[in-house]
Amino acid sequence: MQPKYVVGIDLGTTNSGVAYAEPGSVTDPHQLPPVSLFAVPQLANPGEVRDEALLASSLYLAGPMDFPEGSTGLPWESAEDYVVGRLALTRGIESMGRLVTSAKSWLSHSGVDRTGPILPPNAPDGVPRISPVEASRRYLEHIRHAWDYKMPDAQFTEQNVLVTVPASFDAVARELTLKATEEAGYRNIVLLEEPQAAFYAWIERHPDWRERVHVGDLILVVDIGGGTTDFTLIAVTEENGALKLERVAVGEHILLGGDNIDLALARFVEQELASRNTKLDAMQLHALWQRCRVAKEKLFEEGSTEEEPVTIPGRGTALVGGTIRARLRRADVVRIVIDGFLPVVSSNEMPQRQRRVGLQEIGLPYAADPAITKHLARFLRQQASAAEHGSIRRSSSGFACPTHVLFNGGVLRSGIVRERILDVLNTWLDEEGMGRALALPGEDLMHAVARGAAYYGLARQGQGVRIRGGIARTYYVGIESAMPAVPGMPAPLKALTVAPFGMEEGSDVRLPQSEFGLIVGEPAEFRFFASAVRKNDPAGLMIEDIRGDLEELSPVEVNLPADDNAGQLIPVTLETVVTETGLLQLWCVARDGRRWKLEFNVREKVAA
Amino acid sequence: MSRITHAFRLFFAMLFGGRLSDEVARAHGYSPVAKKTAPAKAPPPQRTTADGAVQMLAILQRDARLVDFLLEDVSSYTDEQVGAAVRNMHDQCRESLGRYVRLAPVLDGVEGTFTRIDTAATYAKDPSALKLIGNVPADGKVSGGVLRHKGWKAERVELPALPSSQNPTIVAPAELEVE
Repeated sequence: MQPKYVVGIDLGTTNSGVAYAEPGSVTDPHQLPPVSLFAVPQLANPGEVRDEALLASSLYLAGPMDFPEGSTGLPWESAEDYVVGRLALTRGIESMGRLVTSAKSWLSHSGVDRTGPILPPNAPDGVPRISPVEASRRYLEHIRHAWDYKMPDAQFTEQNVLVTVPASFDAVARELTLKATEEAGYRNIVLLEEPQAAFYAWIERHPDWRERVHVGDLILVVDIGGGTTDFTLIAVTEENGALKLERVAVGEHILLGGDNIDLALARFVEQELASRNTKLDAMQLHALWQRCRVAKEKLFEEGSTEEEPVTIPGRGTALVGGTIRARLRRADVVRIVIDGFLPVVSSNEMPQRQRRVGLQEIGLPYAADPAITKHLARFLRQQASAAEHGSIRRSSSGFACPTHVLFNGGVLRSGIVRERILDVLNTWLDEEGMGRALALPGEDLMHAVARGAAYYGLARQGQGVRIRGGIARTYYVGIESAMPAVPGMPAPLKALTVAPFGMEEGSDVRLPQSEFGLIVGEPAEFRFFASAVRKNDPAGLMIEDIRGDLEELSPVEVNLPADDNAGQLIPVTLETVVTETGLLQLWCVARDGRRWKLEFNVREKVAA
Repeated sequence: MSRITHAFRLFFAMLFGGRLSDEVARAHGYSPVAKKTAPAKAPPPQRTTADGAVQMLAILQRDARLVDFLLEDVSSYTDEQVGAAVRNMHDQCRESLGRYVRLAPVLDGVEGTFTRIDTAATYAKDPSALKLIGNVPADGKVSGGVLRHKGWKAERVELPALPSSQNPTIVAPAELEVE
């Protein structure tokens, strides 16, 4: 049966959104079917299921004294021992040891076992922890059930579903996301990068987009979500007289987002209160965090007052007597948010690198430098080394020079934040002697990714324009050099390019020139590397010195099943496939045509 | 039946049974009303109007701490202190009220201006919905008057169903933090 709907799912760090469109609802081929938002029913309070525009990406592992019996039921068959959504968050703040949040950030953290029970990291003994993959699975499953409940005549599994991932997600994080969707019972899945989805949402809202951008233009998508910041460049090119869009660069994974900004404000107010001998506990700090977010948004509105009161109600029954009062001044907010996170820097200032401490607490690898503008400078500077690839508009120094900027994410709803980024960018462009960039008007920054994903679903069926992109990094396998062993010195490692940047969905690359000998019945492990910077390495290229640009990912391993010829050495070559879903796969191919897939080994900690 | 026996049976029948025995009823000239024989179905847990009221209080307490505020002695606090606490509470109360109860004016006009009584449509003859004040003529028939208060009506009340395990008398649970 032909799917009735395309469903776009923005599986976010703090919130998830769902949008959908019905391809068959219009008959005119020049008209696009409208994209609608899907409100997700979820528990808002014990016993109260409510439709909300977004599903809070929070999960609460319920204990025996948490909720009255039978009050966590959903309109569909649901588990008793956990709650997903808004109630999970509100209850979780009171009992942090049972709250799972930011599962998505953990999903891309290669330093931990992402399929092992590690969340919540500070759960008290006896609370059954879950893996980041399992948490994502439960959010996705909630969405599937919610859809089936509200759309009983269009089974979710029968629809075309698009799930977004950050552009900076590497092959491992993508595969784990896909694994979560499969375990949640999804079928017909395609993965899509979030900044591309945001751009699709813009196209969907502006049917005249061909008049707004021109051949040679370069669009910078700045996506600052709750937990991550993502940069992407999309070039406007031409093919056979028609405009074509090509995603030409994506940035590295930066764990820095709106939540960090609001927390910085809360910490500032907390310090002020501490100087007046008012101490806050964890729960009050969380309340303060929320209030600061609201106050910040008010202060950033045009024509706002110079200061906003921030009050935290007392914990006991005394409401007025216990209320803690503080003020947030506009000047302070501007100083912390704008100068702290978006400082005016030169285009040569690079963010501080992650400090390496011998013993680190197991936690998320947050960005060491909070200056988003420095990360942006680095991203645009990096494009110099990829000078041959694609149609990136550059200055003579090689600095990528966007002509347009598209903003996405909750933080960028504030005009003052958008202006600062644009100002800093334009200062750089002036210095490079290039024209200034314009902001593309975006709308509904909280739902754009889900909307854009639904649009992409239509585009895949021929009802709209597609951005060409392919894989966002170049991938390599590490190969030990055949050299006499020297005591105390590891054999030098070389890297073989197995998947070039931009390799498109549904294509494959064979590397017949490099043969490996694999022993049947024994697992063979390959070290696996990626680079978002080296974009010109063709498949099969051997890199002698892998230091610098290459980032090590989880190893990949293959285990040739032992049949009658155990212990035998089989010569194999490597083959890379990018599936229609957008997933990178590595295969070992024997001379007789037999194939074995290389699987990511995410269980072992990578020694970086 | 002796009067004493009669009186006692009446007393206990009322006390424990809540109804007169058929015998007693007949003796007093009442005929028992034929009870509707409802299909044998387990009655749903009886919720009284009090439960709804407590639930509304519980919601406003949970979302906005309204009960805490109303029961607090605020006489010793300055207006500034009360104001700071109330501003926040007001926002939250308003949000919750809007979510569970849809309130609309009974008579949607401009307060302080002459308003015709027929604008009130069906409420024009309902003294619980429209209160005539001032020099009301003897027959109560007026064409209109100055609208002093628009009135409020609950167009819709949507309280979530309470789970049967929820104690309906609890407005706010006690909180015990394990350190």
